[in-house]
Amino acid sequence: MLDWLKHINKEFPEFWKNYLSKFDKKSKRFVILSTQNSGLNFSKDVIYSIGAFAILDDSILIGDSFETVLLQYKFLHDNKLSNTFIIESKMKKLGEPDAIVELVEFIGNAILVGHHIDDHVEMINAALERMNCGRLKNEALDIDIMHRKLHDITDKKFSLDELSEIYKIPKSERISASEDAYKASLLFLKLKSRLGIN
Amino acid sequence: MNSIAEHIADFLKEYSPFDHLTIQELSEIAVNIRVVNLQKHKALFQINDLVHDSFYVVASGVIDLSIIADAEETILNKCHVGALFGLRPFFAKNNYRMTAKAREESIVYAIPIAVFRPFLANNAEVLNFLLENFANNTPNSKDSENLRGNIISDSVFYTDQQSEMQFFQSLSYNTNPLITNAGSIVKDVAQLMAETRFNSTIVCENNIPLGIVTDTDMSSKIATGRFPVTVSVDKIMSKPVITVLENVSLAEAQLLMLKNNVTHLCVTIDGTDTTEVKGVISEHDLIIAQASNPGVLIKEIKRSQSASELKQIRVRLTNLVQTSIQKNIPLTHISNITSEINFAILKRAIELSILDLGSPPARFAWLSIGSQGRKEQLLLTDQDSILVFEDVADEKYRDVKDYFLTLGKRTTLTLEKVGYELCPNGHMASNMIWCKSLTDWIKQYDSWMKAPGEKNNNVSSIFFDYELIFGDQKLEDAISTVVFKNVKNNTLFFDYLGNDALRKHSPLTFFKNFNVEEEGLYKNMFDIKTRAIMPLVDGARLFTLYFDLKGINNTYVRFKQLTISDPKHSEIYLNCAEAFLTLSKFRTLEGLKNENSGQYINLEELSKIDKEKLKNALLPMKELEELIKSKFQLTQFS
Repeated sequence: MLDWLKHINKEFPEFWKNYLSKFDKKSKRFVILSTQNSGLNFSKDVIYSIGAFAILDDSILIGDSFETVLLQYKFLHDNKLSNTFIIESKMKKLGEPDAIVELVEFIGNAILVGHHIDDHVEMINAALERMNCGRLKNEALDIDIMHRKLHDITDKKFSLDELSEIYKIPKSERISASEDAYKASLLFLKLKSRLGIN
Repeated sequence: MNSIAEHIADFLKEYSPFDHLTIQELSEIAVNIRVVNLQKHKALFQINDLVHDSFYVVASGVIDLSIIADAEETILNKCHVGALFGLRPFFAKNNYRMTAKAREESIVYAIPIAVFRPFLANNAEVLNFLLENFANNTPNSKDSENLRGNIISDSVFYTDQQSEMQFFQSLSYNTNPLITNAGSIVKDVAQLMAETRFNSTIVCENNIPLGIVTDTDMSSKIATGRFPVTVSVDKIMSKPVITVLENVSLAEAQLLMLKNNVTHLCVTIDGTDTTEVKGVISEHDLIIAQASNPGVLIKEIKRSQSASELKQIRVRLTNLVQTSIQKNIPLTHISNITSEINFAILKRAIELSILDLGSPPARFAWLSIGSQGRKEQLLLTDQDSILVFEDVADEKYRDVKDYFLTLGKRTTLTLEKVGYELCPNGHMASNMIWCKSLTDWIKQYDSWMKAPGEKNNNVSSIFFDYELIFGDQKLEDAISTVVFKNVKNNTLFFDYLGNDALRKHSPLTFFKNFNVEEEGLYKNMFDIKTRAIMPLVDGARLFTLYFDLKGINNTYVRFKQLTISDPKHSEIYLNCAEAFLTLSKFRTLEGLKNENSGQYINLEELSKIDKEKLKNALLPMKELEELIKSKFQLTQFS
């Protein structure tokens, strides 16, 4: 609530100022975002990997994407967890601050979309706070809520797998943030046309 | 490199032509792909849309490629998972020639042309695949055998009806080519070619083609002195010969020549070069074939100066109808094209008369009525027409009427020379009863509709199927207004028309045999026109008037439209529409066979299956009759 007070006299990093300046215009771009986390405790848990795709004019741009594994060696070590997945992964690897900087640049002023998007956004916000930045300002759409709105369901939440089942999105064996983001992208396109959002 | 692009590359690798590319190349392509989700029935692109910068691959679901002609969607192809479509932008800059629509919810990958083009240049197999896809190749050409699975023709030739014909249009070619063997001396072959005036000779061994010698070979290899005239012919022949199937279409032949850069195609039994030669197609044959293309016909009609020129064109039209029917082109399309050409001929005939008589003293409209007005005239039938001219001052009336009567007479005579017989009932614009001023026509329609059946007021229902051929649209509109004004709550009129529709004799006897003619010239033949087609035509007209459907004259289209206006009975209408097509086809085939109007079908010449087909097409009529009986009170005139 009083966030702005905390930040009022603080000098933000350059990338953040740049990010804030993008909001003068409204964006037509959607960014479908998914993260893999150690858990959902925003202060203690960390992001392992991030996957994101852009949607413009109702089509997913495979090239306009973001995919990174975060080098959380310290967290893994502190919690006595294995770090083999980082070593084995062929994806691009970055330290947390670098990854967040690139992600923020990738997102720009786009509208964020995801499955339970708030959780992902909160995790990123927590990381941003560690870097002395503010919170993400983007509008956010949740595909679970879109689905519930379409069918007037109020008493039930749907997992990404359940939604994929309902909308017949092909399953894949591999599990990654990108994979989830891609599924969410397809779900978003389907829900968007069904709800008639432009 | 992101992991989803990798998935897509893996997916593409499974399908042609991408299987010719390496996974690195595919990944490069995949990164630039756009993924598009299409809801059920959503169109990706439509006819006449500007071409997109990408072509498409189906990732999931099914995409229908279709053309739309006369409110009817004809599906050309269904694209399943892995199929390519929308290749048009590769080869042409003009707009899409078809519609791509999702049959079910589908996901497609859009691959930008700019990204893909470099791979084409470096990879002949991929280029060939696309070319073949684009041209819808012959099923037997060898190199496409292994690709059969997902060849999706981008059949661009369907487009508007004219070029569609071109796609179906078969070629007539030389079925008796010069054939020689490999050991023949060039001089002898040249002598033979000169004598027969053929510009090619096929070199064969046991009638299996080895190569071909054309004028070009003679000039480039002999006349230049590279070989002496005494050399054996196999030294100078071009090989291998490009071979095609017997029933190759004009468009296909054209593409094959372009693709292979040759001037002759060799026709063999199964389209490969391992079977016997059946003929040879030269570029000249293509030019001739194009001459009986509907577009060319219309152009020639516009230029022709006399009845005999028009007659020549009408004869070619008959040929066109015949080949089209044999090729199983939907009858609706054929009749559309035929009626366009018929209208063009009528119009030209009127123009020619006007050129002779000088410009008309008042505005007028020449309307075709009856089968011509309904656009159902596939064969040469009689002409029915009326002429409406605008009201003029009393003192001018005589002159004006005289002018239009002469115009009518001249035109009908011209048309008679072209081959359209005069109407035996005199329903023509040359008849002074059917050539009159707008006011008189309005009075005429008024009296027909307000007091049908009285005294000499026997209205012929063909006057309610009219189509403007020449002149002022406003005059036609004026008549339409009168007709539809009078239709409102006019039970008497519907009573009359309903009875008229039911009065025709039933086509089948009590024992479900055909009701054939009992005596006269056509003894034991089945009168398909009056017993089967007319009741459907009358029924369709009755209901379109009842439901206030303006401007639709064609019986088939009328029934189709009725299914929308009166959904409760849509099934009956649909059955009738189909039955009408079947019956018209029978009639047309019979007419072409006997070179007459096809009114009487010789049942003995029909196969058992055809007889059943014909019988089945007579069934919906009963339902239609019941519907007429229940809808209108038919008391006055029964």
